[in-house]
Amino acid sequence: MSKKFFSWNEDRSLYPPAKPDGTIDIDLSSHKYLKIWHGPQHPGITGNMSLELTLLGDEVMACETHVGYLHRGFEKLMERRKYIQCFPIVCRVAVPEPDFNEYCFASATEELAGIEIPEAAKWLRTLVLEMARLQSYLMWVGGQAGAFGQGIIGQWTLYCRDLVLDRFEELTGGRIYHMYIIPGGVRGLLPDGFRERMEETLRIIERFMKDVHSVMFNNSVFKKRSVGMGVIEPEWINRFGIVGPNARAAGVPMDVRKDDPYLKYPELDFEPVTGTDSDIYTRADVRRRDLLLSVDLIRQIMVKIPDSGEIRAKTPNVLHWKIPAGETYSRAECTRGEFGYYMVSDGSEYPRRVNVRGPSYTHAVSLLEKMIINVNIADVAGLMVSLHTYPPEIER
Amino acid sequence: MEFQIDQVIGNLNELFGGKDHHRQRKGLDFITIPKEQAVAAITYLSNPEGFKHLVLLTAVDWLEQGQFQLTYLLNNPDNKQDLGIRVLIPRDQAVMDSIHDLWGQAATYQRELREMFGIHFPGSPRVDQPFILEGWDGPPPYRRDFDTKKYAEETYFPRPGRSSNDPTEYMKHQLYPDE
Amino acid sequence: MGKINDILSPFTAWKHLVNQPVTIKKPLTRQASDRYRGFHKNDIEACIGCGTCEEICQNAAIDMVPVDGIGTKNGDSGLRPRIDYGRCCWCALCVDICTTNSLTMSNEYTWVDNDPEVFRFVPGAENKPWDQKEQGWKKPGSGYELYEPERVNMEELPPEERDHSFIEIVKGYSHEQALLEADRCVGCGICVATCPAHMGIPQYIQAIRNNDLEEGLRILYETNPLPEICGRICTHKCEEVCSIGHHGDPISIRWLKRYIADQIPENEYKKILETENLVKNDHKVAIIGAGPSGLSAAYYLALMGYSCTIFEKLSEPGGMMRFGIPEYRLPYDQLDKDIDYIRSLGVEIRCNTAVGKDITLEELHEQFDAVYTGTGLHDGRSTRIPGTDHKKVYQAADLLRDITLGKEVPVEKRIVVIGGGNVAMDITRSMARLQKQKYGEVGIIATSLESEHEMPADREEVVEAREENAQVIPGWGPVEIEINEGKLTGLHVVKCTAVFDADRRFNPQFDETIKDFFPGDMVIESIGQGMNLSYITGKTREEMKMDHRGRIEVNRDFQTSIPWFFAGGDIIQGPDVIHGIANGHKAATGIDRFIRQWAVGS
Repeated sequence: MSKKFFSWNEDRSLYPPAKPDGTIDIDLSSHKYLKIWHGPQHPGITGNMSLELTLLGDEVMACETHVGYLHRGFEKLMERRKYIQCFPIVCRVAVPEPDFNEYCFASATEELAGIEIPEAAKWLRTLVLEMARLQSYLMWVGGQAGAFGQGIIGQWTLYCRDLVLDRFEELTGGRIYHMYIIPGGVRGLLPDGFRERMEETLRIIERFMKDVHSVMFNNSVFKKRSVGMGVIEPEWINRFGIVGPNARAAGVPMDVRKDDPYLKYPELDFEPVTGTDSDIYTRADVRRRDLLLSVDLIRQIMVKIPDSGEIRAKTPNVLHWKIPAGETYSRAECTRGEFGYYMVSDGSEYPRRVNVRGPSYTHAVSLLEKMIINVNIADVAGLMVSLHTYPPEIER
Repeated sequence: MEFQIDQVIGNLNELFGGKDHHRQRKGLDFITIPKEQAVAAITYLSNPEGFKHLVLLTAVDWLEQGQFQLTYLLNNPDNKQDLGIRVLIPRDQAVMDSIHDLWGQAATYQRELREMFGIHFPGSPRVDQPFILEGWDGPPPYRRDFDTKKYAEETYFPRPGRSSNDPTEYMKHQLYPDE
Repeated sequence: MGKINDILSPFTAWKHLVNQPVTIKKPLTRQASDRYRGFHKNDIEACIGCGTCEEICQNAAIDMVPVDGIGTKNGDSGLRPRIDYGRCCWCALCVDICTTNSLTMSNEYTWVDNDPEVFRFVPGAENKPWDQKEQGWKKPGSGYELYEPERVNMEELPPEERDHSFIEIVKGYSHEQALLEADRCVGCGICVATCPAHMGIPQYIQAIRNNDLEEGLRILYETNPLPEICGRICTHKCEEVCSIGHHGDPISIRWLKRYIADQIPENEYKKILETENLVKNDHKVAIIGAGPSGLSAAYYLALMGYSCTIFEKLSEPGGMMRFGIPEYRLPYDQLDKDIDYIRSLGVEIRCNTAVGKDITLEELHEQFDAVYTGTGLHDGRSTRIPGTDHKKVYQAADLLRDITLGKEVPVEKRIVVIGGGNVAMDITRSMARLQKQKYGEVGIIATSLESEHEMPADREEVVEAREENAQVIPGWGPVEIEINEGKLTGLHVVKCTAVFDADRRFNPQFDETIKDFFPGDMVIESIGQGMNLSYITGKTREEMKMDHRGRIEVNRDFQTSIPWFFAGGDIIQGPDVIHGIANGHKAATGIDRFIRQWAVGS
């Protein structure tokens, strides 16, 4: 695995040498450098964040990540909301994947309250989390292809994602913010005919993913810009807290669904998808295969999921639900890796502290700032998308 | 030697003055370590004991007790064990040693804690640069004595035309106004 | 080879050239799913304006506002939710918590308007196009409840253990049960207006949840100085309007009140209620009758510093609470607990002192600054059907009084009770116990004009009477008591087809062709009681204004046309304990106002 970036200028003597820690001494007054802002409204950026780039020619010499365009202060807002009132806002922490927030918040609350949720609710939660993974990956595929100039892929996959959102709509009553995994259980059983429509959706997705494979992955343009580029060294994994597909592409089979099984994952048959080369292409391919794994898991779930049964455990009246004092951490595997909620209760009706651990927090700041050095300006967007970062979970 | 969480807890108690151990569930333990020994204990955990993944670093404001609780949540991926290290520091002297040389992302966590809670981590890279709150000149907003509602009421204005009635008071007014 | 493939493979995308577009064309007619959380609907007739939707809304998007055509009445605040779509996040928690299930959502999701103000609207009151749409979000069901709709069961003595004794039947809530029951309350406060004393019901239920029973007791005594009594035998009008009762069982408000009072020993009352150092003034008030309204007036007057003396005709205080309500519903020691506390505040109760006989009203007027009367309804009314003058025809009120006094009461093997109210059930169940003690079996029939569902008695009274083997046979009108050679043999009845006319006035209709006969050796009449105002004599009587129904006229301070004379309780309003308590409280305030004006004036 060698670190390689496409550059028109193979003569490295024109560039200042890197220091042992990877950074470069930059003398802005020399007029050799150019500072530009990549984002917050650049189409190649993932969401509302910006990179302050220092360029020499078309190569990035230094980068600082700037977030704060989307700070809503959810962790603070929860201080003055009852547990049930936090439920409608947690999904908004990570826009494209609300369900992992709902699940982590609900399961942390249930654990502190000592509540066991009904079987049907466990299955429905597992289903919703896999559907969330599926639609989030579908959006990501479009982003990754788009960052390298392949607009058509995004059109196909967003169509597929819309079909998943249709299924979400009939199951949960909402398309984007589902507000379905409520502390104590879920808010509805499978509607009539859901299985057939789900299967139809999965078939369409599989068909399009075949096209995506031919057009995007088996494509010399894409390969030229992604193979061997943006390599994450395995020893960085723990050093920078890298999780999820970013770590799995480096050969580390890190998957919360297997490592710390929750809900009904122990009853499902699957192996974490891993890769070996840890470059942009491998990470993309790991995600593509993880997407297809989700399709497979949803099929497995649809076979086992019950059509009836209790969907919510008995809880105290939610208007004055006091959670016993204590602290816990609840995690789930989202598309970017380990997603978690650290919750502290002081025994009152309001949470003392809720801290959201989003994987982008580490991927988009410390890791990206390190990896982006010497990258061609045209590849910045592709590299960033390949880390699959969501700014809303960085700043909550 | 086989990994034993009870052994690790015992070592923490013995070597680093750990106390108040609590097993939240199988695979998740919490323990309080005195501020002075905390970084040494975390370094010990990260290397020989295999807690090589820093899951999160955050703070809890125990305003009533005048303390901040820093929570370092460490994960031992090989043995599927999480360990939350609680470190209590006084609110009026909110300073803590940095762990950025153990984990790269710790610098980001510390920068956020500096901004949101006003907890200082001397020596942590870019710790004094604004992270999320560029241009904010108020107090650290995640401290519990920062009242978001009061701030919002002073800073913004309510939409005109909104007013509500308490059912009990309204019924009293309608049904027995004389009493 | 791979390289060639990588160049050719992307061209497979061309196959989509022949595919139809998947986008939805205008006009947008796509229907949202059945469960979609779209715009709000409210069944404005079913809604009671309890405001629980406003309470749960974390966006503060809901206001409770008055709506044209919806009036405030018992059990309905007259307010309706107005939703600000500038703040709503369509989480539908307002729908899920709605106590009446009136609030729902349609699956409509498009609404375009130039005026931003219209997006703040009262669902159900503004004729929106989606008001009639069936599809949309509703409360999920399948065990999904945000609060417990079912009441915590109250433990009672089983019928076979209670039917031969006067031991209290209802055991009272344990700590855990009370917490669970208190937890069900949503704290809307709809009940407060209906309670005649306007007790702080949500507040004392909250005190139970917070495990702060001392605070609970303080709240109780703000409006009701007889919580042990009311906690047992109150007619609990509050529970009839409880918002939770629309979709489940109403909160056991009465039992929760009893729970608070039961937990605190009487000797701590003074400390908790901060009545250890009451400051006395120079004024004295006389109170006639130690029933609920008299005791209530005395309590609140004592708090204000007045010296109160209660004149009670019978040997012990309590009035109907002691001499009307059987011990199995209200044990005497609990009654004494409440009364003793009132006594401990310096209220003097002179028993065996009948006003009009042992002391005259005029004397009271001379000795005291004001007089309050709450003498209640003690004289049983008769049906006046043929045979009622027989010596084996009794009045329920007299028998109940004699049972309390420990006097020997006549118990025959077969008894017929006429009446369907709570007093009728009280005498039926008391006599059944005495029959069980005397004969080892129960032979009692209670019959009422009203049909099963119209009977004025509390439902549980009827159910429990039947559990104790008494027969309750509603829907019959008494015609004649049969007497054979001087011996009473039973009651002839005819079918009663309607008790009230279209205007809800008492106007019973009978079908004379359907007859029945209830055999019995004695008949007890329990069709209501009248008042005895014979102690009001002379000039006072002449000057006192009465209304067309023969009741004393009072103003809102319960002051009669004679300024120093106040009246309340069953002779004015009711009949029930809680009205008496409320009247006594208001009269106390009125007496205070009267004496202060009078003191200033003189």
